[in-house]
Amino acid sequence: MKIAVCLKQVPSRDWQPRVNEARTWVRDAEATFEMNEPDAYALEEGLRLKERHGGEVVVCSAGPARVSQVVREALARGADRAIHVESDALAAADGAAVAGALADAMGGEAFDLVLTGLQSDDQGLAQVGVALAERLGMPHATIIMEVKVEDGALRVKRELEGGWFQWVAMPLPAVLTIQSGINQLRYATLKGIMAAKKKEIRKVEAAACASRQRIVNLYAPQKTKQTTMIGGSAAEAAAELVKRLRDEARAID
Amino acid sequence: MISVAVLALLVAVFGGLFAIQVWARLRLVRLAPGAFAAGHEAERSARFVREVVFQSKVIAEKPVVGLAHALVFWGFVAFAGYSGAQLLKGLHVVDLTGTRAFHLYMVALVPFALAVIAGILFLLVRRVAVRPEALGPLSWESVAIALFIAALMVTFLLDFRLAGWPAAVNWWAHILIILVFLAIIPNSKHFHLVLAPATVFLKSTVLGDVRNLDFEKEEVGIETLAGLEKKQVLDAFTCVECGRCQMNCPAYGTDKALNPKRLILQNEEALLAGMMEAKLAGVYDPGVLWQCTTCGACENQCPVGVEHLPLIIGARRGLASNGEAPDALGAMYNHLERRGNIWGLTSDVRQKFVESAGFETFDASRHDYLLWLGCAGSYEADFQKSLRALAEILRARGVTFGVLAKERCTGDAAKRTGNEYLFQELATANIADFEAAGVKKILTSCPHCLKTIGEDYRAFGFIVEIEHSAVLVSRLVGDGRAAPPDVVTLHDACYLARYAGRTEEPRDLLARVGAVVKDPVRSHHNPFCCGAGGGLLFEEHEEGTRISQRRFEQLQATGAPTIVTACPFCSIMLKGAQASANAATEVVDLMTYVDGRLKAASARAASPGWPAAGQRQP
Repeated sequence: MKIAVCLKQVPSRDWQPRVNEARTWVRDAEATFEMNEPDAYALEEGLRLKERHGGEVVVCSAGPARVSQVVREALARGADRAIHVESDALAAADGAAVAGALADAMGGEAFDLVLTGLQSDDQGLAQVGVALAERLGMPHATIIMEVKVEDGALRVKRELEGGWFQWVAMPLPAVLTIQSGINQLRYATLKGIMAAKKKEIRKVEAAACASRQRIVNLYAPQKTKQTTMIGGSAAEAAAELVKRLRDEARAID
Repeated sequence: MISVAVLALLVAVFGGLFAIQVWARLRLVRLAPGAFAAGHEAERSARFVREVVFQSKVIAEKPVVGLAHALVFWGFVAFAGYSGAQLLKGLHVVDLTGTRAFHLYMVALVPFALAVIAGILFLLVRRVAVRPEALGPLSWESVAIALFIAALMVTFLLDFRLAGWPAAVNWWAHILIILVFLAIIPNSKHFHLVLAPATVFLKSTVLGDVRNLDFEKEEVGIETLAGLEKKQVLDAFTCVECGRCQMNCPAYGTDKALNPKRLILQNEEALLAGMMEAKLAGVYDPGVLWQCTTCGACENQCPVGVEHLPLIIGARRGLASNGEAPDALGAMYNHLERRGNIWGLTSDVRQKFVESAGFETFDASRHDYLLWLGCAGSYEADFQKSLRALAEILRARGVTFGVLAKERCTGDAAKRTGNEYLFQELATANIADFEAAGVKKILTSCPHCLKTIGEDYRAFGFIVEIEHSAVLVSRLVGDGRAAPPDVVTLHDACYLARYAGRTEEPRDLLARVGAVVKDPVRSHHNPFCCGAGGGLLFEEHEEGTRISQRRFEQLQATGAPTIVTACPFCSIMLKGAQASANAATEVVDLMTYVDGRLKAASARAASPGWPAAGQRQP
């Protein structure tokens, strides 16, 4: 099975984000980066499917030159080769633009299965996977908790709200967006790291970035403090306090 | 003339047998990769004199048995001249035996002979009748060798009395015993009398000295038997099978499959069988490599200089490099890789603690010490308390310190579990931070950080003065005995007591704050591990009895209501054991305890109504 795993490099959770002057993006020149967490689970799932069914795992990433950090990391964990769509503009592009850039680079490969993380830890759009499916002309399923390949087709478990799940049967090829925690991540082994140095990373020039969405204001939620004095007798005040704790603060049931 | 020819023939046959067997073993040593460690010759020589000539380790750890062994050893050395001269006489090379000097030498040997007989008979009785667990099943070969040694002494003593043909018979008996002995020893544990002087000399001067892998040479750790290094092959042939490693091993002592002696003997057997391509982990019993806490008891107790830790960690590397580390460690590696700490928490947790504790960012121009928090000091609520206590003690005594704006794990857990790449990544990044900040003196409350920064980082050329808080604070704290008296027991942490040799400082400190220390079994330089070291803090299922539970029981048996320890991992393990036992015994970190005692003492000094020191409070 020829499996593609799309990876995004996102600012590390350890980095305290600071907004740029135009308030359109974070100051990513100061950031440290890491592999988007749901994508790490998608990669692990891809590697496990390869171990079970054979084939190869190709990681695909769109973004500036620095993205090679997570691409190398994926190769060290066992991916066979990589495609890097290199463009500075893709770092903050919208989901459709990233999906378009990835689809252009992946189109000729005829993948049987394309995995992405459910969403990214930075923008959290959860769009790239589904838009990519559209561009590649493949069916897709989202928020995947389990993947089974049976008789050349898929049976996948989707997570719904409120603790519900759903099993979906679908044909291959397909695009799946993977939920975090679906498997246990492997670690990068010394041999894997050594082998990664010799693996191919195919660099692809991105066409002009066609983001149609534009961030107009990026800001952190304002923290506010408010003090209210509750008057009346002790009994009235207590009743009012309970009411407010329940209805406004939702601190009690 | 016939007797000379017969003797020459016998010497050739038995000497040949000896040489063939020795050659087979030394060839394996020669073919093995790596090199014998060099340097520290003065220290090694001093240790050689102490441990080989004076048998200090053999005696210190087991005085009676050790003394019996020392008598036999010294006797053996003393007799070399006598037996050698007899052989030279028999071969008609030169006859020294008729000289007056030789006669005086013989007279001087008499007490040695008696001592050897006494020693060997004692050891023989112990082996045959007492049969301690450490020695394993009875080996008739050892019995034969003991009887040979006794017979050598008897033939020597008879030499004073006999004349004529009985003297000739006695002479032949002496020579034959020596020759047969020579042919037996290479394939027996008695080969240690040839190799142990070398292994004791060659052993590292540092406990648990696991050299860095060289990635340029594509080293990945020990995967097959052929990957055993020279010293490890030599160790396999040197092991005297005394079982001291086994009896001091916390894994063996809690019914786990790991037995350090067995590892060494399995190496020996597989090496002699020529299984060079066999997977090393397959030579051992399944899973044993992951049961080692790296407490260092085996290596530290071994009287013949066997180094178990480089073997176990080297074999772990061979597994980890192929993705065969246990799953729980894989998760920990990912935490280290992504978050730089063993628990995978985000750095804002540490940041909040640093701010609330009022720790300044280290500035070499203003601060005496860099206070290294470590993973536990940064992220574990209980140990954060200990760091706050330490800070109070330091501030009250005008010692200035700062912390790094960001810290990552020293890599201890990665090093000890065989993830060498991750260890070196963390180490080099930390060293760059230390150098950029101009760090000269480091203070830490974690004995594992102490070992890793203080010893393992030397391999990168980074040499820094680093101290455990117990040591510094024991120098700073004066008389705090005004607090009401208290009884505690001290759990010596392996990495503080056994590795760093700091056994007295915590005790001095406790005494100075008015605590009476009741030592448990296995204390001071040979503590029983808490079970957390070597990555086992993350172990999911522990075979046999829990090591932490066993240690907790030993500490509880002292009757002291409080267990004091000076290591965050010991603290986590012992608190866990205390919770599962639902015991009243309290576990507290040394700094938290000392700070509390100092405060109690000053509160009491400030209030005149308190009873005089030495009396219990109502």
